Amino acid sequence: MTTLADLKISEVKLAAEEGGKWGMVIDQDICTGCQACVAACAMENNIPFVGEEDSGYGRAMHWIRIERFWQGEYPEVKMTNQQPMMCQQCGSAPCEPVCPAFATVHSQAEELNLQVYNRCVGTRYCANNCPYQVRTFNWRDYERPEPLPNQFNPDVTVRRRGVMEKCTFCIQRIHQANHKAKAEGRELMDGEFTTACAQACPSNAITFGRVDKKDTQVYQMMHHGQSHGKKHLEELGTLPNITYLNGGGA
Amino acid sequence: MSEQVSRRDFLKLAGLGAATTAVLTGCGPASRYVVREPYQQMPEYNLVGQSTYYATTCRECAAGCGLVVRTYQGRAIKVEGNPNHPLNLGKTCARGQATLHGLYNPDRVTDPIMKNARGGFAGTNINWDDAVQAVADALKNNQPNEIAFLIGTASDHVFDLLTDLAKTTGVNAPIRFGAMNMLESRATLSKAAENLFGQAGMPWFDVANAQTVFSFGANFLETWLSPLSYTRGFANFRKATTTKLRGQMVQFEARMSATGAKADEWVSLRPGTEALVALAIGRLVAEKKGIAVPRIFSGVEPLEVAAQAGVKLEALEHLAERFASTNSVAIPGGPALGQSNGLAVAEAVLALNALVNNFGKEGGVYLSALAPNQSEYHRPASAQEMQAFVERMKSGGIKVLFVHGVNPVFETPNSLGFKEALSNVGQVISFAVFPDETALEADYVLPDHHGLEGWGYQRVGTGVSLPVLSGAQPVVSPYYNTRSTVDVFIAAAKLAGGKFANALPYADEVEFLQNKISALRGEAGGSFSAIDDETFMATFQQFGGWWKNTNALLAPDSASVLNQSIKTQVKDAEFAGEGEFFFVPFVSPTLGEAGANKPWLQELPDPTTTVMWTTWIEINPETAHHLHVENDEVVKVISEAGEIEVPVYIYPAIRPDTVAIPFGQGHTAYGRYAENRGVNPFDLLGKHFNEAGDLAFAGMKVRIEKTGKTQPVSRNESRMGVYGEDLGEEH
Repeated sequence: MTTLADLKISEVKLAAEEGGKWGMVIDQDICTGCQACVAACAMENNIPFVGEEDSGYGRAMHWIRIERFWQGEYPEVKMTNQQPMMCQQCGSAPCEPVCPAFATVHSQAEELNLQVYNRCVGTRYCANNCPYQVRTFNWRDYERPEPLPNQFNPDVTVRRRGVMEKCTFCIQRIHQANHKAKAEGRELMDGEFTTACAQACPSNAITFGRVDKKDTQVYQMMHHGQSHGKKHLEELGTLPNITYLNGGGA
Repeated sequence: MSEQVSRRDFLKLAGLGAATTAVLTGCGPASRYVVREPYQQMPEYNLVGQSTYYATTCRECAAGCGLVVRTYQGRAIKVEGNPNHPLNLGKTCARGQATLHGLYNPDRVTDPIMKNARGGFAGTNINWDDAVQAVADALKNNQPNEIAFLIGTASDHVFDLLTDLAKTTGVNAPIRFGAMNMLESRATLSKAAENLFGQAGMPWFDVANAQTVFSFGANFLETWLSPLSYTRGFANFRKATTTKLRGQMVQFEARMSATGAKADEWVSLRPGTEALVALAIGRLVAEKKGIAVPRIFSGVEPLEVAAQAGVKLEALEHLAERFASTNSVAIPGGPALGQSNGLAVAEAVLALNALVNNFGKEGGVYLSALAPNQSEYHRPASAQEMQAFVERMKSGGIKVLFVHGVNPVFETPNSLGFKEALSNVGQVISFAVFPDETALEADYVLPDHHGLEGWGYQRVGTGVSLPVLSGAQPVVSPYYNTRSTVDVFIAAAKLAGGKFANALPYADEVEFLQNKISALRGEAGGSFSAIDDETFMATFQQFGGWWKNTNALLAPDSASVLNQSIKTQVKDAEFAGEGEFFFVPFVSPTLGEAGANKPWLQELPDPTTTVMWTTWIEINPETAHHLHVENDEVVKVISEAGEIEVPVYIYPAIRPDTVAIPFGQGHTAYGRYAENRGVNPFDLLGKHFNEAGDLAFAGMKVRIEKTGKTQPVSRNESRMGVYGEDLGEEH
């Protein structure tokens, strides 16, 4: 008898073949956990710092965080491979259907999960429904004393209290590259730009690019040696657009 | 602005999209300073809606990575790596990314100050003419040998200027120092090279092409020597290709560092036994290879060493097999060198490389290339040399001290007595960008520009096979009433007249730099050439430096390595103090020595513990159980040199007989984000040195007392592990 779960998996497979437009491959075996991506993301995307107390309550606004887990006990203790975790830009995102304000929507053009800040009313349903726990909420208007705001990126909205936010795959960079390609009358090429995290990553553990074309680096990495590649919580049918590689390591 | 591109032409170019991605030089050859102007009169290179990119050099540490800074209408928006720069190939670390939080920090020194008294910042804002006069008087009215300069390691052009000044006027040659360099034990590495190869220098390890890496405490994926270069090497080492297998890494240390966390095998050693273990492995490797045990390894008995180090003999044998069978390299570093027998550790570990004969070979050990305008290897002062300098200040031998680019009051242990010694120095003049602890003790604070506002260059000391001189130029105009320290010295020398004026015959800093840099124009085999000095200088700024195109790594002379005996004490290290725990201070991988005033660096989770915004002490779970302490409980840590109170983080990857505290916090000044936050583990360090003169910072024992207080430690990790059953256990 076909169970409901079986049905879902077959649907997922069907949809997965369609794929998204943008994707990322993260090689956990060479990620050193250095936090350069976290800092680069914060600088690019005008992310506020929340201070010691609020970060202690878990309100830090990292759009990308590096997870690590412990295995075993001293002296046989081991840290699992560092795992950069951010919005997986799901093809079938659990955050989207629960938003009453259509602030969390799927874009047709970029095939990403958008967060429309001026629609967001702060119900936080999306964050509760996100299995990856990658959405961050502005619990306050965090203070950035002068002249720190000089550094704001003019391409990225500065968010206020009560608004949900998350990794956007640096959509401002996607748009800028698109505009340029359009102005020059050509198609956007893979590798023409990359996200802030991938650009900074000292070990090149993060690769970003188009997954709707087969000749791109990111597509090749996703489909090469598939036994190592893994998409997190794929079994939930979320169709994540980030593939994690683990080399020969743990 | 440049005569060669008119505004109209520029607009045309911009319209074609060509200018939007080009990296521009901050000046046409004729223009020297970037000027911030109102929107109505945008400078030619700044077009509304278009970003402008400038190449410069990162000053957050001494490595000398190239940056390209995106500016928008006169403001610096984002730092990226310079993709053409041979050292970092377009990459940046977290501290490089956060350099903008230094530039736009709300707590910078905004004007030159003449202080009312030391110990506070209250004083009179003076104008720059008076400030320059004060410097000129200080130079003129004191005996040359009573004038000293203490400068940091990330400002080679300042060093060169002051060296020139010292050569002809008799003032003391500038002393360079930094806590990071002290904790890297640079003097020890260099001395070990001298003892083994007959040549001092900074060893460089070609991790990328090795098959097995044995790291004895080296934190080369964090802050060590040239972290971006080593991280890139590590990534290439780890990736399997058609011609090579995935590299395997073994880390020997008492407390698992962020580097050790990446190791395939983590070997916990009793602190102080690293040299013995390296020698024992060497002996076993020789036996496995069936060769006579070389003299350098002959004095150890592996069975005894195993017992002393707290590892099994079988484990040593297995490690020896691993090391002998593949293309291996052994790296000494970190706390292993900061012990009383640190020099022996460095020599023993370097000697291991002789067994696999990898000196001067791919995947092996080299001596770093000298930079283009460098004739011999130069290293920063060791802690012992700093101690000698402190003694000189104490005895009244120094009447004027100029401090630039370093914060010695914070960056040296209290036991060295730097702060107290300052009271015997007649005049202290600080060029600090931020109101740091040393500026607090100064009579004048004459703020330099932030690194992104100023000119300069930095020699790349290690990490790349090419000789590289990295160039720095202003990417924005100075935000405050600051002035370049080089300009201040040039102007003051002129006022002081005589030999001082003759020593620095330049109109300003740019002319000085042009003078230094144009010497390279005649050299063949460079990354670019130019028809005249001005074009050379402009191109130098545009590319972010000049480098030679040929590999200049030196192959160490390894002929006699194996036949030597280690000249210093190999035996167990000595530990100062009575406590029951070995004490390991380590550099915070995210803060470094000067990152604490940048709020986003404070909010970066530590890579191993995920702690933010404060200092913690790492204690093994079993030890915590015996001591009856819990997470977040504040304990008092007591050494022979002092005591501090710090909250507990129960850390699963540290020896039960060892505790560890990160260095980076514990400022008493340095702006709102740094001040009165966390503690400085240097307060626990006594005045003990290893044989090379480096501080024996990992040679202390401490005891721990409960205080009954708690302090919740902000950490990022509690959000994880929700669905992580198959990813390992959340701790």
